[in-house]
Order: sequence, then structure tokens, then C-alpha cells
Amino acid sequence: MKRTGYLYDDRYQDHDTGSEHPESADRLATIHANLRSAGLLDWLIPIRATRADIRWLHAVHPPHYIRRFEEVCLSGNSCFDFPDNQMCVSTYDTAFLAVGGVIETARRIMADEMDNAFCAIRPPGHHAEADLAMGFCYFNNVAIAARYLQQAHGIQRVAIIDIDVHHGNGTQHIFEDDPTVFYYSIHEHPSFSFPGSGRDFERGTGPGEGFTKNSLVLPGQGDDTYKTLIQQDLLPAMEMFKPEFILVSCGFDAHEADDMADIELSRDGYIWVMKTILQLADQYTHSRIISVLEGGYCLEWLGKLAVDHVRVLLEG
Amino acid sequence: MFVSRSMVSQVITITKEASIFEAKEKMDAHAIRHLPVVDPDNRLIGIVTDRDLRSAMPYAMFKNGATAEEREQLARLTVGDIMTSNPMTIPPDYTIQDALLLIQKKRVGAFPVVDSNGYLKGILSVRDLLRAFINVLGIHEPGTLLCIEVEEKVGQLKKIVDAITEENISFGSVLVARTWDKGKRAVFPYLLTNNVARIKKKLSAMGYRLIDPMEWYIDTLPKTEK
Repeated sequence: MKRTGYLYDDRYQDHDTGSEHPESADRLATIHANLRSAGLLDWLIPIRATRADIRWLHAVHPPHYIRRFEEVCLSGNSCFDFPDNQMCVSTYDTAFLAVGGVIETARRIMADEMDNAFCAIRPPGHHAEADLAMGFCYFNNVAIAARYLQQAHGIQRVAIIDIDVHHGNGTQHIFEDDPTVFYYSIHEHPSFSFPGSGRDFERGTGPGEGFTKNSLVLPGQGDDTYKTLIQQDLLPAMEMFKPEFILVSCGFDAHEADDMADIELSRDGYIWVMKTILQLADQYTHSRIISVLEGGYCLEWLGKLAVDHVRVLLEG
Repeated sequence: MFVSRSMVSQVITITKEASIFEAKEKMDAHAIRHLPVVDPDNRLIGIVTDRDLRSAMPYAMFKNGATAEEREQLARLTVGDIMTSNPMTIPPDYTIQDALLLIQKKRVGAFPVVDSNGYLKGILSVRDLLRAFINVLGIHEPGTLLCIEVEEKVGQLKKIVDAITEENISFGSVLVARTWDKGKRAVFPYLLTNNVARIKKKLSAMGYRLIDPMEWYIDTLPKTEK
């Protein structure tokens, strides 16, 4: 049994994307309700959102980008950089709470108050580039957490494992020339799905060459392909890299019922993927792992998948 | 769509008196494979390619460089001895489509671009055409590609474009391709959004068939042309 933290805060629902946007506040509501009705809240260590110290954002995002976001948001615009990024006047503050919550989670794991954690946050982060909002993402939560772990706690090697069905272009670009952060992503082939990056030949640049790995899944494929690719690509990469901390960019949109992409990962497939990642954490990181919510838009399944996910974190 | 806008204008050139080593060093330094050969007035007289150099130099020398002795032997060989004289050229006012068709027909890697007085104006290689094609596809921007099967009749594309526009989604590109069924066309809108679930549902509700991505087939034109 692991000591598992759970970051959730009602204020994450304040980021209003308007009616009919897939990245809605209902996503977190259903995750939280499902965890409650499954009786899991009693087992989890609650973590409340805190506002991030801006110096940690500066580790990833240039000040001019943060200022631009603040201005566009607080002056009442309904979108930022791309029409995909629908927002409200609270979005800027909510984004700070999302980053701050993940940092607080990392701090508490490093203080040995818990082994691992699931962060049910909005807005998501993995598409956010250093200076560009993209794909519903504003601040790259996971990237900032990686820099926080390195700079505040002296962690040398952080692995980011991105299981969202879309490629985390932002995270890859932020770390592509950095050999201290390994970025692994398994996603639908970019010729068929957003954002069109994360191709097989993207393997890092300069000193970071060999520290980025993309596994591509063709439309219609599911559990078997995930098992093959993760065993063939992720496990050897981690054996080579030997991470001291694992961050998971956790998207539930590869599920077969999710129509944002064409991948057919089953509920059991998701459990297998997460168990495999947890074994890596046991093997390399003293079980230290934070899973951070990215996508996942099928409200009917999102809660169930999150319950499974948290059970794996608790039970190992 | 004119060649003059897509070609490389700052051309790396060589003279016919230059040694083949000089040609090799220039190609290596600039990572290029074609060197137009010009006279002192910058009029085109030939072209030398990396393949010409490979044919002229023994493999070991090409790969590892030459010893002083080998160099001396080959030094007498000039670009003028191995170049292709009067190569196929294109004028700056050719279109990209002209160049695409011609490059396929002639099976060359690059065309020197020459004005009506024979002066070298630029060079257009397969690489430049690829860059133009990537721009046409719009795939340098983040987006999602769909494939919709439509009846081959007037007005189909308008309905699709209208439906997508109503969702406030921008287009990276729209390709229309022949398809395997007679009387049908495949429309490939490249949409600059992550949010495709709604538009997919809407298009299905309008009666269009969204083709299984594993069945997509852009290149359905006859391949017999040489």
C-alpha cells in the first residue's frame, strides 16, 4: 500500500471555457464524484491548491509570455493565441493554482509525506510551449514541476511519461536539448491527430539527443500496440536513463470511448499502462511519481478511468 | 506560385577552371548537391553534381579526402571536365507546378533558374519544392486532419467548409483527392484545432462518411506517367 496524495480544489472549476468546449469544468466534477463514490477519498492524502510562486513559472515560461497571458485574460478576452484556448477572466489565476498545486505535491513527496500522487487539475499543460498557449493549455504544469524538482530539491534526472493520446509538443520542445529530462510520449500518429508533431524521428537535439522518445500508435489500435511499444521503447529508455523522479502527463483520451482521437485503449489497457509505470517508479525513483491530468473528454468514462488510475497508485 | 519566390537566390556557384576538390569542399561546406558553373559574368555554362564528383573520384578519396600525391594526380581534373554542359534550366516566371511536373519528368534533383539572357538567377531543388509542399499542406502548424467522402457533384465542398466555419475552426489546408469509388471524392480538411469531436459528429449527422484513417489514400493519381 502506497501513501497516495490527491490534489483537487473546487477552484479548478473556475476556468470557464464556455458551453460545448470539451475541456470543461465537468471533467473534474465527474472525476471527484467518482473518487468519492468509490470510497477512495478516505484513503487519499488531500492536497489543496496553492498559488505558484512566479519564479517557478520563469523556469519554463519567459516573463513576456506570462504578462501577455495576464493582460489578454484580465481584459476579458475569451481566447488566447488560438481559438482552441477558450477562457474566462479567472483562467489566469486558475492556471497559477494548477501549477502551484503540482509544485506543492512535489514538495510534499520530497518531504516524504507521501509516495505518489494524482493531480486532478485544470487547465492542462502539455501542449503549452514556453511562449505560446496551445491545445487548451496555458502553463506547462509538468515541465514547471520538473524544473522545480531539479532546482529546489537537487533531483538530477526527471522522466516525463506522457500517455495523453496527443503528443505533448510543449513539453518535448522545452526539454528537447536537455539530457537531464527524458521525455517519453505514446500518442496517436501525428499525421492523423493533433498537434502534428511527435514523429518517430524527433529524438532530441544537441546534448539532448537520445533523451526524447516518441511511440506512435496508428488509428484503431489499442491495448496490444500499447503493450508492445511500452515494452520496446519505454522500458529500455528508463533502464538507460535511470530517472530519480517520474512525472506522468496523464491523458485519458486514448480510451476507446473518447472521440477526440481514434485510439482504442481499453479500461484494462489503461490499468496495465499505469501499473507498468508504477513498477518503473519502484525500480528507479523510490516510488516517487506524480501523475498530472492532461486530456480525457468522455465524461461517461473519465471518472471510472480516474478511479482505476488512483487504485493503481494506492496499490502499486 | 512562381519559381522566383521559392528558389534559392544566393546561389553557391563555381567556375569551370576550379578543381574537383574545390567543388567537393564547397558542396560539403554548404551541405548542397548541385553547383551551377558560371562564367565571369555569372552566365550559366554548366552544372556539377555530387554524383559527377563521385564518378570522378575513387571512393576512398571521396570519403576520406586525398593524400598529397593523389591530389596532384586528380588536381588536373577541373569542374569543366566533369560538368554537364548546357543543363536543363527553367526561367524565373515558371510556376511551382511547372517545376513539379518537370522535375518528375526529367528525374533531376535541381534546376538552375536562368533569365532570357542566360544569367543565373537562382536554383530550385527538390528540397525547395518539398518546403513549398509542406506549406501547402499547412502541416508546420498544429492541427488535425480529417478525411470525408463526398459525392462528386457541385457544392459539396461549400457545405463542408460552411459547417467547419460555423464551428469557428480555421483551415490549414483543404485537399481534394480522387478516391477508390467511382463518383466519389475524398476531401481532406486540415483543421487548426485540437477540438474535432464536435465537427466530426456534425459532419456525420449531415450524412457525410468520415473515412477510417487507416483507409486514407491521398496518392490515387495514375502512376504510369514517366
